[in-house]
Amino acid sequence: MAEVRIDLVSKAFGTIQAVEDLSLTVADGEFVVLLGPTGAGKTTTLRLVAGLEKPDHGRISIGGRDVTGLPPAERDVAFVFQQYSLYPHLSVYENLAFPLRSPTRRVPEDQIKATVTRIATMLRIAHKLENRATRLSGGEMQRVAIGRALVRRPSIYLMDEPLSSLDAKLRGELRLELKRIQVELGVTILYVTHDQIEAMTMASRVGVMEEGRLVQVGTPREIYENPATVYVATRLGQPAINLVPPSVLPQVATPPGTATIGARTEHLDIRRADGGTGTGIVARIEHLGDQNHLHLDVAGHHLVTLTESDIALDVGDRVNLDVRGALFFGADGRRIAA
Amino acid sequence: MTDIPDRRTVAERVAAATPDGLARKVSGFSDRTIAWLFIGPTIALLLAINIFPLIWAVYLSFTNYAANKLNATVAWVGVRNYSRVLSDPDIWERMQATAHFVVWTIVLEVLLGFGLALLINRQFRGHSFWTTVVLLPMMLSPAVVGTFWKLLFQTQIGPFNYVVSFFTGIPPSSFDMVGSVALAPWSIVIVDAWMWTPYVMLICLAGLRSVPDYIYEAAEVDRASSWRTFWSITLPMVLPFLMLAVLFRAIENFKMFDMVALLTSGGPGSTTELASITLKREAFEKWRTGYSSAFAIILFVTIFGAANIYVKALNAVKNR
Ligand SMILES: Nc1ncnc2c1ncn2[C@@H]1O[C@H](COP(=O)(O)OP(=O)(O)OP(=O)(O)O)[C@@H](O)[C@H]1O
Ligand SMILES: [Mg+2]
Repeated sequence: MAEVRIDLVSKAFGTIQAVEDLSLTVADGEFVVLLGPTGAGKTTTLRLVAGLEKPDHGRISIGGRDVTGLPPAERDVAFVFQQYSLYPHLSVYENLAFPLRSPTRRVPEDQIKATVTRIATMLRIAHKLENRATRLSGGEMQRVAIGRALVRRPSIYLMDEPLSSLDAKLRGELRLELKRIQVELGVTILYVTHDQIEAMTMASRVGVMEEGRLVQVGTPREIYENPATVYVATRLGQPAINLVPPSVLPQVATPPGTATIGARTEHLDIRRADGGTGTGIVARIEHLGDQNHLHLDVAGHHLVTLTESDIALDVGDRVNLDVRGALFFGADGRRIAA
Repeated sequence: MTDIPDRRTVAERVAAATPDGLARKVSGFSDRTIAWLFIGPTIALLLAINIFPLIWAVYLSFTNYAANKLNATVAWVGVRNYSRVLSDPDIWERMQATAHFVVWTIVLEVLLGFGLALLINRQFRGHSFWTTVVLLPMMLSPAVVGTFWKLLFQTQIGPFNYVVSFFTGIPPSSFDMVGSVALAPWSIVIVDAWMWTPYVMLICLAGLRSVPDYIYEAAEVDRASSWRTFWSITLPMVLPFLMLAVLFRAIENFKMFDMVALLTSGGPGSTTELASITLKREAFEKWRTGYSSAFAIILFVTIFGAANIYVKALNAVKNR
């Protein structure tokens, strides 16, 4: 395990600036999650660390060693690819054993067998070891791909959306399993996901990317509670943060220069208004099971909040909103202190 | 509710607007009839120039018919032609020459073709230009190739002997590629390999291009040696393509006629007389039509049977 330092790295494909002046340090034993919309440059960042892309400029070092010019094999990284990328003509067992059979490692055969069996059991694919890698479901392939990384103890694990094609239950289980491995063995992981629950629950720190740039890095809590920009605020939170101009919520005292108020569920207090006086109207109620999504119409703007399932409100009801501790953003999208 | 003036569907309105005559003319034939109208001429031609002669040849192979004696009575001779073909030591020599040709051309073409494909797949500068250059021999007519190489192999003026002599020091007029019994079987192999290696290369290239980059990237990250990458990834993924190329080349070369006929005419003696050349001699020089028909049927069954077994193996490899 080792510290990974990315220093002002840029990478362009033709005219597309995939990664721009990105700096990020993943400390030894840290679990860093990259979050961002599609095309933000997350995969490219991982590939740069792995050595599968050469940076246009910038420096990458692993464990204090400058690896910028080194090929992937000399970097000691493990990569879980977004497209599984299994060896199609090998069995699941051989796929998992493949990295261990490298001539530079020389792992004895009985140790290979023990490792492969242990990882396969953990990933619940032990009964598929004799299958050909192409004769698996998408979720099974994804687990083999994760397993092929886990059989090794590299300086850093690079994982590109490794849980994306699993069902919710298995995803939850493997999320815990990965986190457990990471904590127990103190391994370093740089992890890409679109799933904010994964980001919130697994990450030591979250890096939010936008169009090739790293906009903010911090603990999940910091990112959630103290987003630096409107963009970062929209990345975390379910339902997404409500963004409205100050005129919609005149009861809120805004600092000067506020162009947008960001109000999450916990910032809103909703009370039924009597006698048709309220500022908002209930437009729709979505039942999620244990909770509801409450859609409100406030001065022509659409707001969504989470409420208890036994809420005594109906579509068409008028409500009053109290706002506490909302976030404020200027015209440039930057956060303004309250 | 919005008000729709005409409640009928678009299709109904189009149908109503179509003139009656046209609709009836088109619907006069059923789909089946139209299908037969289209494939009928092709099937008729196929029957006339392929299937009928084949059946006719099967019939002739059981007779003593000779195409140059039109008035002679044709007698049914049973399997006599077949037993004569199979017990003829000359025929077995011809088959050996054919096997030598088929096996060695395939070995050379697969090794060279796959090698070239691996080189060209590196995507070096100008690789598309070199691909086109390498493909040139394949685009020539076999007759041209045969005649052309006859000239190249000339002992007095042919450049081939001079090139060999340049590298080995053997005097150029001391060996005759076409005229010597020892060398002639190899010269037809060399020329066929020259002409058809590009074809095998093209098919291998298609196979190499079908391997996604990210599999190689995974192997790179996993620190696989290039040898292991080749054996565990490249070769298994290209193998079905390679086997297909071998099938095509084997069938083609089993019935090779034109290039060899023009290069060596089967000589010297009959050292390069391949099965097809023997067949042509028996049928159209010695006019033993019944006998040559039997030989042709034997060749056909051999190729057909071997190809079928091979295709089964190919499918097994593909479905792995
Ligand atoms: N090999 C390539 N050639 C050209 N452009 C590329 C290449 N790889 C990535 N790009 C471009 O770089 C940008 C970033 O791509 P990247 O794959 O890093 O996105 P991502 O954040 O991983 O997206 P996703 O969440 O969809 O996987 C995209 O605009 C993409 O089109
Ligand atoms: Mg990606």
